[in-house]
Amino acid sequence: MKITIKCFSQVKYALGIDEFVLELEAGTMTSELEQNIRSKADGKLDGISLRIAVNQKYIPNDIELNDGDEVAFIPPVQGG
Amino acid sequence: MILTPKELLERQSEFTVIDIRPESQRKEFPMDGINIINSEDGFIHTIEGKKVLVCQFGIVTEGMIIEQNLKDTFSLLGGAQAWIDFQSEKEDLSRWSRQTVLPEVGLEGQKKLLNASVAIVGLGGLGCPVSQSLVAAGIGKLILIDGDSVELSNLHRQPLHGIDDIGKAKVKSAEESLRTINSVTKIQCVDEYLDESNGLDFIQECDVVIDATDNIQTRQLIDRFSKESNVPMIYGGLYRWEGQVAVLNVDGSPGYKELFLEPPSGGESCADAGVLGMLPGIIGNIQAIETVKLIVSIKTNLVGKLLMYDGMNHRTEIIEIG
Repeated sequence: MKITIKCFSQVKYALGIDEFVLELEAGTMTSELEQNIRSKADGKLDGISLRIAVNQKYIPNDIELNDGDEVAFIPPVQGG
Repeated sequence: MILTPKELLERQSEFTVIDIRPESQRKEFPMDGINIINSEDGFIHTIEGKKVLVCQFGIVTEGMIIEQNLKDTFSLLGGAQAWIDFQSEKEDLSRWSRQTVLPEVGLEGQKKLLNASVAIVGLGGLGCPVSQSLVAAGIGKLILIDGDSVELSNLHRQPLHGIDDIGKAKVKSAEESLRTINSVTKIQCVDEYLDESNGLDFIQECDVVIDATDNIQTRQLIDRFSKESNVPMIYGGLYRWEGQVAVLNVDGSPGYKELFLEPPSGGESCADAGVLGMLPGIIGNIQAIETVKLIVSIKTNLVGKLLMYDGMNHRTEIIEIG
């Protein structure tokens, strides 16, 4: 299945891209996708907490992804 | 040239006042308390001396004066509507005529703004544009809270502060600039950082608290006091070219604690990560828009949502928090 990944703030800079599509196995969970994303970041996301939104909505817990889902990874930002 | 309703009342003997509105509008919204003649466009040119033209909202007449190059002719700011409001309220609200003409704001909305109190925590990148726009919009009282002083590295993104303000308390520097925009707004300066001991007192006396801080710990404090006092919190955050805005704690809606599950970690400050100078102006003004919408009760807003904006590609995403 195809999942669109949207990256914000530190995630965007860690991966060097703001949006891309991943081909994943059916039944992949959001927690597995987060590990996948963190491993691509080469340690740059270590210690950074991330919120995950699926189809523009925060997920309350780990859920199974579906083909065509859009998943956003959102870190806190400090600046003001 | 324009004239406010108050100025017209005081100086009416100097002018011939001409109502250019159609008869139906004149009957529905009559202008009382002043000598006024009705006119078709062509008639205006034949009247000698100084004239004031009146349309419904003051917009048509301003355009007419410029287009027809009319000499010694003024437009009534805010038009007949502003005059009628002035007569009923005994208060000249014409300076806000460009926003009271909006049906979503109106005179009632402007009165709410004039009676509202807003606390702004942080007078840096976000606090400057937020306070500037809210003072211009006619907010009744601002409480400015920040213990920091102006530094040279602040100036590229904090336009209320200038070269001569370096070393000065940010709240004082901001106050001086804000007073030149609108002297009606009451401004209380608190030259201290918000903390456990002072935060609740300041926040609970306001209608809205703006989070314009630069660290997660203070955001968590504001969130806690916002929840305790049931005063909505308008969150804003910056990172390089990106910004976030959310309207939190409105009658039990999600707060900062729900936005970023505790303990959130890893955010970098503007000093660490850098920030484009224009970005706070955009994000701070979105915070100001949301503040005005809350105060005048406009339901289309960011309650329970997180807006993210990226100045690099102008991508905007709105996420439902829950």
